[in-house]
Amino acid sequence: MKWITREHPKIDRIACPWLIRRFIDPGAEIIYTPFDQVLQLAEKLNATPFDIPDVEYTHYGQECTFDYFLKKHRLTDPALKTLGVIVRGADTDHHEIATQSAGLWAISAGLAYNHPDDYSLLEQGIILYDALYSWAKHLQKEKHTQQPDENLLLEVFNNFLKKKSGKKIPAWAQELKELIQDHIDTNLSLKEISDSLDINPSYLSREFSKHFDDLSFGEYIRKQRIEKAIELMGTHTYSLTEIAYLTGFSDQSHFSRIFRKHTGASPSDYRKKMPEK
Amino acid sequence: MRWITRERPKIDRIACPWAIKRFIDSDAEFIYVPKEAVFEQAEKLSAIPYDIAGAEYTHYGKECTFDYIIKKHGLNDPAIHLMALIVRGADTDDFDLAPQAAGLWAISAGLSYNFKNDQEMLAIGMKVYDALYSWAKYWQDEKHNWQPV
Repeated sequence: MKWITREHPKIDRIACPWLIRRFIDPGAEIIYTPFDQVLQLAEKLNATPFDIPDVEYTHYGQECTFDYFLKKHRLTDPALKTLGVIVRGADTDHHEIATQSAGLWAISAGLAYNHPDDYSLLEQGIILYDALYSWAKHLQKEKHTQQPDENLLLEVFNNFLKKKSGKKIPAWAQELKELIQDHIDTNLSLKEISDSLDINPSYLSREFSKHFDDLSFGEYIRKQRIEKAIELMGTHTYSLTEIAYLTGFSDQSHFSRIFRKHTGASPSDYRKKMPEK
Repeated sequence: MRWITRERPKIDRIACPWAIKRFIDSDAEFIYVPKEAVFEQAEKLSAIPYDIAGAEYTHYGKECTFDYIIKKHGLNDPAIHLMALIVRGADTDDFDLAPQAAGLWAISAGLSYNFKNDQEMLAIGMKVYDALYSWAKYWQDEKHNWQPV
């Protein structure tokens, strides 16, 4: 089959040929010609005209020609549906309808600038739409890993911060401080907190230290626990085993080890040297 | 010069080679190796390691390696600075930074899915960044109009 449309394609007149070749007619021949010659040449070459006014394959209302192809040829692959929305956004300058539209438009406009020949542009465009399709089909939910060890959910977190901005110590940090105080005896983990806030642990950890005396999450929690332990020691009500338990240490030796690291003395030595109240 | 980084590039490790080749060293050679081999191979091949923790050319705070290259080499073309925001947004999942970031990410992720060979990925990626640059430099304010004039 032959398909014909206006020259200098950018979005729809690249996306539709891609769709035709991949899903409708693999051997399709695509012809680009000046606008005023499309219909005349279509008849002469027995080609189907598309993406010009007053033909069957064209825009309808808010929908672009790509949408019409999907409908007409009953292409129901959800990935194609996703692609259709992105193409429509880029093609009709409604970049708000899909977050990917503005990027697709920028890259397509630049490709068109760099490839003045419509047919070489089409070859580049096909690679682009193959990529978008793979993304839509297999990777849509995936987030980008910035460095292998860090999977940043920056987007979520930045939105989260924005909502609460304005104060020097953000509300979430204050809330977190209180949460930690209240849960000093339970093994509150960074993972649990980040899960409940829907923030990536490594990112939370980094942001955390900005508002918590430059300490990492782990360091801060340990410091709080040791301070709490020292406070309890001073009351002489609890045994060291009880104190370890009350400050969230899994066992006595773990407690002793961390305590010594922070204070330079073992819990029992430290307690002996404490001034009597 | 030779430049070396981790294999399976998507955004930063394609955008950086593009900037180096187009603005810093047109003869540059780019090598992709498994993460754990980067520093060892860098020494062996006397290549500059980049976009890996511990290298000079890497992320700083919220800025990605592309930002560092721009700063370090004093690239002050406004089109490059606009691109940097898009690259940073796509590379760090902060799509609010630039409206084009989400699309660049989708296309780059899909390209990486389709092209498992890193050098092939780089060759195609170069065209994507050439396009983004042309848009940033010449097209930016143009609106797309469907109706032919």
